[in-house]
Amino acid sequence: MSTVANTPTRSWPPRGAALLGWAVLAAVGVVLLLAPLIFDLFWLSQILTQALWLGIAAVSLTFLYRYGGMTSLAQVAIYGIAGFAMGNVVHTINSEGGLNLGWTPWLGVVFGIVVAVLLGLLFGAIASRSYGIYFLMITLALSLFVFYFFGQVTQLSGFGGIRSVSRPGYLGDPITHPSPLYYTCLGCSVAVYLLLRYMVRTPFGIALQGIRDDPGRMSSLGYHVALHRALAFALGAFVASIAGVLSVWFNTQISPGSINIQQTIAVLIIAVIGGLSRLEGAWIGALAYALIDYYARQHTPTLGLWLNPGRFATIIGVVFLLIVLLSPDGLIGIGTRVWALVTRRGREAEPGTAAAAPTAEATLEKAGTMATGGPPSSGRQEA
Amino acid sequence: MAVAAQSAESAEPILRLRGVGRRFGGLRAVDGVDLQIRRGDRRAILGPNGAGKTTLFNVIAGEFPPTDGTIDLFGTDVTHSPARHRAKMGLARTYQQSRVLLGLSVEDNIYLAALGVRTGHTFPFRSRKRDAPLRARAREAAREVGLERRVGAMVSELSHGERRQLSIGMARVAQPQLMMLDEPAAGLSRAERVTLTELLLALPEDVTLLLIEHDMDVALRVANWVTMMHDGRVIVEGTPAEIRANETVHELYLGKRHYGD
Ligand SMILES: Nc1ncnc2c1ncn2[C@@H]1O[C@H](COP(=O)(O)OP(=O)(O)OP(=O)(O)O)[C@@H](O)[C@H]1O
Ligand SMILES: [Mg+2]
Repeated sequence: MSTVANTPTRSWPPRGAALLGWAVLAAVGVVLLLAPLIFDLFWLSQILTQALWLGIAAVSLTFLYRYGGMTSLAQVAIYGIAGFAMGNVVHTINSEGGLNLGWTPWLGVVFGIVVAVLLGLLFGAIASRSYGIYFLMITLALSLFVFYFFGQVTQLSGFGGIRSVSRPGYLGDPITHPSPLYYTCLGCSVAVYLLLRYMVRTPFGIALQGIRDDPGRMSSLGYHVALHRALAFALGAFVASIAGVLSVWFNTQISPGSINIQQTIAVLIIAVIGGLSRLEGAWIGALAYALIDYYARQHTPTLGLWLNPGRFATIIGVVFLLIVLLSPDGLIGIGTRVWALVTRRGREAEPGTAAAAPTAEATLEKAGTMATGGPPSSGRQEA
Repeated sequence: MAVAAQSAESAEPILRLRGVGRRFGGLRAVDGVDLQIRRGDRRAILGPNGAGKTTLFNVIAGEFPPTDGTIDLFGTDVTHSPARHRAKMGLARTYQQSRVLLGLSVEDNIYLAALGVRTGHTFPFRSRKRDAPLRARAREAAREVGLERRVGAMVSELSHGERRQLSIGMARVAQPQLMMLDEPAAGLSRAERVTLTELLLALPEDVTLLLIEHDMDVALRVANWVTMMHDGRVIVEGTPAEIRANETVHELYLGKRHYGD
């Protein structure tokens, strides 16, 4: 499976490519751990913290697509449900919108996640018998339904959102002191990543991949395909709900606008430009998204009538288009190819291993099949 | 369950079809088929292309329900029960075009086939210890069908023949009482056919085999009873020797076409 293809090998001490892999991993780890010392407040908050929670939202989609063959457009709606559920039950300063039941923040977190997972299970049950474009449309419809629901039921969403949602005390003020929230998002990201990596190797996860490849075959092997997909969807909802909680803490508020169709598409874009073949892609995509979004807004040049800073969305669109055109598997795909080139050079320098090393073409081909080798379409078994 | 009740009375057929039919629009792909299979039978189903053999398999395995008639499996009416129930009752099948799980390894494919007929596989936290015997059986099954050197390979990298072997390994590892193979020899080399025939002959005696096969050498060596289909109907039944000698069969089938490559 491609998720293990690049993991450093078990031999110790590591050499060559494996050593390089560990070095890169360690460097990324150190930078992430020391980020509050390295980056200024703006970067820490608007770029890194935002990329981390957006990455969690996107990885719920990457997981469902990569391992379950489900392209869900409901992930943003689900994190909205978690956010609104939490926002309604916890204390809001000045009672700005929502039910303001005055629960403690942690109780609110639990409530938000439980509600989102239960509704996720329901959504999953509704969509679980559909495949491909039909699955996409059902989840899109659910997403719109949730958006309009919160837009119209102002008892639950306030007028223009629930503002000043109270947070656990240790977070302090995320604007002036973003570190606690940053570390919270980092910790959640690592936990979510490890959880999903674990789940896909359990019997449940392997069966889910079987269902991705051929649901009809899995049914004749004894599996309850619809139930299995619904449960996987609920797992995706659990991950998305964590992003929902973090997004409310990050923004200090939630409104129907936070879960509109633009945001739904943003999360889809993040997952795709990051690369759907690996879970890590979600965070890489989110980081790219946060960076491109910020720099396009800041630095879009004026070119006559065609382009001006107000048209930053054009730049964003063009950059995404370029990434997807350059590499069908997004930034992960580009990374895989660069990695293949670098490690080839490394191996050639090492005498004696060159003969055993796969040719560059083979490595590249492998990277190529990984790029296009996402979930095989499930249309084939709809006889 | 029904399985235990049945074994006491082995004269009862484990599979009984009464007037089973399946229409696709105006086409009667299967038409009024009555069939009785007893435990331990080795039944070959022959017939020219489009005779309705695969459709009959699909109806028996629960891919889709019949449009007419009833199906009893191990003494239970399963006419409208889903495929997964029949799999859990002890029915395993292969497909005319190998249907294997391309994004997983050989071992994972066989493992899933072994796991599927158990209960509780939606529960994610099976301990490694509880899982180990199933994993061991999956590797053993891979060895039995000659894939021991490919256990770790991705199924998408397997050749056509290897996928056929894998399909049979997946059917066997579920330890079914009724095994249905749809043209297992299609596209195999001569040597591979011999191996396949030996594998089928070596099946435990109480395993019931339902075999669609165009290759007469394979079919008539393995089978002890043959059902001949044409245009969705059963036209002749008999021992392999009787079938070889039958005029209609020759006219319809043996004389007209040469299968086996
Ligand atoms: N899902 C389907 N929808 C419509 N028609 C079908 C379907 N499946 C089979 N048929 C038709 O039913 C008839 C019987 O097909 P079937 O596949 O059962 O034949 P077969 O005996 O298995 O033939 P072969 O030896 O070629 O495999 C054919 O005319 C086929 O076109
Ligand atoms: Mg057929």
